[in-house]
Amino acid sequence: MPKVKDAGAMRKGIRKLISDISEIPEKELKDDAKFAEDMGVDSMKALEIVAAVEKKFKVAIPEEQIPTIRSPNDVYELIEKLLKK
Amino acid sequence: MSHQDQKNGQFFSCDVKKVLPQKYPFVFIDRVVEFDKTGSSITCLKHITANEDYFQGHFPENPIMPGVIIIEAMAQAGILLYAHVKSDNMKKNPQFFLGKVEAVFKRPAVPGDTLVIEASADKVIDTGGIVKVRAKVGEDIIAEAVLGFGVKLGQ
Repeated sequence: MPKVKDAGAMRKGIRKLISDISEIPEKELKDDAKFAEDMGVDSMKALEIVAAVEKKFKVAIPEEQIPTIRSPNDVYELIEKLLKK
Repeated sequence: MSHQDQKNGQFFSCDVKKVLPQKYPFVFIDRVVEFDKTGSSITCLKHITANEDYFQGHFPENPIMPGVIIIEAMAQAGILLYAHVKSDNMKKNPQFFLGKVEAVFKRPAVPGDTLVIEASADKVIDTGGIVKVRAKVGEDIIAEAVLGFGVKLGQ
């Protein structure tokens, strides 16, 4: 399992995935923006983001945690936490 | 889905019909031949016969299984995988909605072929899933797809 050696690189990787799936250019992506309300990310795209992040960082995001992910910041925090386990 | 109905790791075709919300003449899986115990993958069969209705028009002189039907068969394999992973949810009259299809077709499937449909879960949760599906005839890959679907649970 990859370690969190570089939180910046991890964030960059997650931003790239979110940008690709949401079709929002990285430069326009705000870390505190809400997926549904601000970014127009529907439940299908949200699930794609979860699956892509799991694959990239080789972690399993528990199903009950998924509804708590509301912004890119939430993704960074959760992945950081899971990688530290 | 009752796992007691399995015999030698296979579901009988009647079980597929019980599990799938689609009914005749819109069932495109004949049999489940294998599923991973962890719920990460499933393998299904669809025997393509010359008697399929759609061959009358697609095409009269050159019968080819329509790509959309192959996608439907793949989606039904995805539902069976969901039913295996989330068997409790199947009691709640779930409705399935295909949300996303990314597919590549590599060669046609014709009468006499047996489609082997392998679906693996990228992520399956109560309210939906993303599955990668590959349809093969023998060793030849007919089509590959990533399917995203939503699930609405009833009572």
